[in-house]
Amino acid sequence: MTDGETATPGSDPTETRGTTVGDLPGRRRLAVLAAGTVFWTWLLARWAYHNSLLDGLFTALGFPDLIRSERGVRQREGWIPAEPFGAAADAVGTVAAALGPAGVLVDWLRWVLDLAAFATTTAPALASGAFVTVYLTVLSMLFGLVIAVPLAVARVYGGRALRAVSLAYTELIRGTPLLAQLFFLYFGLPLASIAEDVGFTGQPPIPRAAAAVAIVGFTINSSAYQSEYIRSALQSVDPGQLTAARAVGLSKFQGIRYVVLPQGLRFAIPGWTNEFVYLIKYSSLAAFITVPDLFRQARNIGSETFQFTNIYVVVALFYLALVLTTAIAMGRLEDRVAIPGVGQSGPRE
Amino acid sequence: MTLLELEGVRKSYEDEDVLRGVSFAMDRQDVEVIVGPSGSGKSTLLRCVNRLTEIDDGAIYLDGEEIHGIDENDLRRRVGMVFQDFNLFAHRTARGNVTLGLTAVLGLSKPEAVERADDYLDRVGLADQADSYPAELSGGQKQRVGIARALAMDPELILFDEPTSALDPELIGEVLGVMRDLAEGGTTMLCVTHEMGFARSAASTLTFLDDGRVVERGPPEQLFENPREDRTRSFLGQLTDLER
Ligand SMILES: Nc1ncnc2c1ncn2[C@@H]1O[C@H](COP(=O)(O)OP(=O)(O)O)[C@@H](O)[C@H]1O
Ligand SMILES: [Mg+2]
Repeated sequence: MTDGETATPGSDPTETRGTTVGDLPGRRRLAVLAAGTVFWTWLLARWAYHNSLLDGLFTALGFPDLIRSERGVRQREGWIPAEPFGAAADAVGTVAAALGPAGVLVDWLRWVLDLAAFATTTAPALASGAFVTVYLTVLSMLFGLVIAVPLAVARVYGGRALRAVSLAYTELIRGTPLLAQLFFLYFGLPLASIAEDVGFTGQPPIPRAAAAVAIVGFTINSSAYQSEYIRSALQSVDPGQLTAARAVGLSKFQGIRYVVLPQGLRFAIPGWTNEFVYLIKYSSLAAFITVPDLFRQARNIGSETFQFTNIYVVVALFYLALVLTTAIAMGRLEDRVAIPGVGQSGPRE
Repeated sequence: MTLLELEGVRKSYEDEDVLRGVSFAMDRQDVEVIVGPSGSGKSTLLRCVNRLTEIDDGAIYLDGEEIHGIDENDLRRRVGMVFQDFNLFAHRTARGNVTLGLTAVLGLSKPEAVERADDYLDRVGLADQADSYPAELSGGQKQRVGIARALAMDPELILFDEPTSALDPELIGEVLGVMRDLAEGGTTMLCVTHEMGFARSAASTLTFLDDGRVVERGPPEQLFENPREDRTRSFLGQLTDLER
């Protein structure tokens, strides 16, 4: 997604779905749901507990200690003790040593338990990073959508000039690396200091001007990709639909608004899910402009503890959880808005 | 009283002259049936009347007014169209298909539109299918929704472009039934159709179009029994043979 050549989404809006977790049958589905529930309950509780937005609210209400945002991320205490895991790991180590050469058979368990102990101590910082990653991604996707729809409509239904502008924008954004775009906005343009001056950063929920810059960058970037998905979805709407709308007396704009978009946007959901998943992962580039997202938290922990393998395994699990959640949620959305004969429920004719 | 008049209408695409000077006029409450071989320009002719296609030369008058002087959305409100492939709005129920034009074009309120839609769906015998989506309807039902959608706008004229050609034979009757009712009720209709039974019984005038020109035009009995042109005889002969 950073450099147009590796991935060209938009070529096939139907490629994503098929075997997402949302389609799993019976017991396995239940297990995934249970794990997801535990993860999200914990994560949401973490966010509620250490959240500057809620802290401000409760402090104003006279409960200054209920939610603590003033503490540095790294000083936040975990809720799950690490000691039992550490002790268990030591015990396994002893057993493995006693078994001699056969000890390798159980030694992997020690690594898992060590990892669990490590995860419980680093989880609070990662939870705070995940909060940043989630709002960066969600806001950028939504703002991007607002830009992408008119871009796509201009590409498909616009006049010559509109088509050219839309095409140029899309190709420029898709043809340059996302990281370069972020650097350009952050270091090249004085966007960060403008944001600081306007003063809407520094306040919760956007902790730093860098986050605002990241949202601008991701919004611009994802709008280009989203518009490609939406464009090809619009093109798969039968032209007879707009003809019929016009024949009833609707203007072209009304026809697009009331007939083409409601169908096209449904067709675009699988591609949109793709882009959402991409952006969750690519949002890690925000770390390079100092945004304290999930990846930056992991990187910091890594350079402090030197446990690089462990931290990147743990953070990968976090990303995986976010991505799977998105895939499932979007599958649900697709089912929910499905209309007989329009999108979902098997391949379209 | 003349409702629609075409005067030397010409239309060509790149290297192909599709309409080469078509002229005729029809009165209010007339049912004009146009027949002609595939590619003779029948669909193009209909689309010129509601300006889905712009003509190159000639003039078209609706109720005495040249249609290019009328706002195109206004013109289309006054001239309904029923399509060969139905073209129902796939994401809207039968009722929603009818209400869209009522709310977005006529500016009716939602409840008014629903009431009117249900009334027209009832007229085409689909009161019980109002909540069905197009994908859940049979071809005949779809086309009846298409007719209700056009009819509900209360147009002065309805264009039918081969409304039964995409239907299985056993479903044609229900659509022709609705069209006959309309004809008897005084709706002005310009129909491209090869249903010769309908042409014989319902048409006030039959026009044979070939190669972008009106070859022959007159009362249906005359064209069937006593055509002036050999081409008319052989074409209508083929069609009637097919029907036996
Ligand atoms: N939009 C278009 N562009 C180019 N050629 C067209 C277009 N529409 C129709 N034609 C051509 O015009 C001729 C007449 O088409 P049409 O009016 O659909 O005939 P009919 O409805 O009698 O079968 C055909 O040869 C067709 O290929
Ligand atoms: Mg045709």
